[in-house]
Amino acid sequence: MTKPSIPVGIICSQHGPYQAMGREILKSAMMAVDEINEQDEFDFAISAHIRDPRGIISEYHTVCDDLIRNVGVEHIIGCYTSASRKQVLPIVERTDRLLWYPARYEGFECSDNVIYVGASPNHNVLPLVRYVLDNLSREIFCVGSNYVWTWETNRVTRELVTAARGKILAERLLELGESAVAHIVDEIVRRRPPVVFNTLVGSSSYDFIRAFHAATSAAGLDIPMLSCSLCEPELKIAGPASAGCITSSAYFESIRLPENQAFVARWKARHGDHSSPSVDGQSAYVAVYLLARALQRAGTSDIGEVRRAAAGHRYNSPQGPVWIDGSNNHCVLTPRLAVSNAEGQFDIFWEAEAPVKPDPYLTQLDIAASPARDATLPNAPHLRVVK
Amino acid sequence: MSKPSSFSLRGRKALVAIKDERDATIVRRQFERLGIDIAIWEPSWEPGANIDCRPDVTLIDDEFLPLTSAAQRAALGRSPVIALLGTETPSRLKLVLDLDPASFLVKPLRSAGIYAALVLAFERSERTNELKQQVLKLEQRLRSRRIVLAAVLQVMHTHALAEPAAFALIRRSAMEQRKTIEELSAEITAKGSLPRAAG
Repeated sequence: MTKPSIPVGIICSQHGPYQAMGREILKSAMMAVDEINEQDEFDFAISAHIRDPRGIISEYHTVCDDLIRNVGVEHIIGCYTSASRKQVLPIVERTDRLLWYPARYEGFECSDNVIYVGASPNHNVLPLVRYVLDNLSREIFCVGSNYVWTWETNRVTRELVTAARGKILAERLLELGESAVAHIVDEIVRRRPPVVFNTLVGSSSYDFIRAFHAATSAAGLDIPMLSCSLCEPELKIAGPASAGCITSSAYFESIRLPENQAFVARWKARHGDHSSPSVDGQSAYVAVYLLARALQRAGTSDIGEVRRAAAGHRYNSPQGPVWIDGSNNHCVLTPRLAVSNAEGQFDIFWEAEAPVKPDPYLTQLDIAASPARDATLPNAPHLRVVK
Repeated sequence: MSKPSSFSLRGRKALVAIKDERDATIVRRQFERLGIDIAIWEPSWEPGANIDCRPDVTLIDDEFLPLTSAAQRAALGRSPVIALLGTETPSRLKLVLDLDPASFLVKPLRSAGIYAALVLAFERSERTNELKQQVLKLEQRLRSRRIVLAAVLQVMHTHALAEPAAFALIRRSAMEQRKTIEELSAEITAKGSLPRAAG
């Protein structure tokens, strides 16, 4: 018997400056859709309606409007940058739809019409900066893409570093898609900062990583690079130059959980042995499963019912247990730190002992009390070394 | 003690006066997320009521305007005010302006915008208080100019000095005696001469 179908919109750019991540999100979301449609556990099938805004910001509004008005979707999975999410937000709020947003982001938003599946700022920026302050340096050179993700990440970093009596040595910004990175790399080689925090996205980041590696190698410098967004497919794009980057993320392909090993095996069977899932792709996969399970439990696609059914429901995903905190629609998940290696993978060296509540407004962060870790993050897990 | 950051709202207290239950629910949920404690505007706060509430910020629905009692106005005067606007008509805006709001939100409310309105209100209030202090200080100095002028004339007369030299002498003496020019000027006019430095 054919199962009834529920239309779900998928919005991710397959072209433009962050097309690589858009393609990863689409591949992962469709893998989850296909799996769900084959499972008896679900008494419905998901009918995916894919839209490609081509990385053009105004197109997000257009394709979202089309999905709601012409296809009649109640649930949409997608968007990557915060700028794209902000384009979609007014429409989903006005028409009372639900956007399942997979990417980690900078926080300071909490819409009833968005489920924030990716990491909140207390999951990614805080563990990374604290690790740097405790182990590497109190002086950081920042380079990033000129948009809200970098602005807010740099703001939090600056407050933490300043409270620890450290210093932001520089804050250099490039427009999205900009490839002229030589002047920044030259400055880094000249000033020799102890660490460089890279919040560039897409092609700008890959260009920077390659130029940075070439210049610092030629100068005989060993400057660690930090990232809150770098993932395995990007390591492959950037090439061997990307090795040695200290990265904060909720997901790495190397996570040793049975759920992840099975996920990676299915991924490679579908996309080839040499391909790798990514944090944002895996998050899109999680988003589809969280949606499908909520739809199943709610017995309706009504967004109020689905949101209630989704809250607090634990899902043993590839990245480990995740669930939605009903008080703020963000996900409880496990932060991790890793360093990229020459094989295009990450060696995980820390992870939270237990999943961490999302804190999108950083209300639990007492910057004035820094750098004492216990005082700054009451919800902070004890970090443990992962062998 | 360092002043609290306007971006960190945890532990602050808000007095909330909202008529519509849907708007009130949105504010309660968002305040809970931000770690803000809420006190509800009581209907019993009618004229003459003794309102014992020390909020850090007050949100007031324009439907409560105009405020009818001095007690209500006094309660609002204790903290920065965020006005909730239902209409942008000048007559309504005039009532809102009487509250000297530090920020505003447009109804129907949504979660987006509340955090920004709070941060702007706290920061605006902080800067306004700094400006008020500065104005007070300047007014005080302005008032004392009359005394300084009298002291300069006194010294010009007793020491046979021109005005710039008389003023320079007062300033140098004030520095030697670790007093302000205004304090020393008050002593000169009281004693009729330039007091000697102790020791």
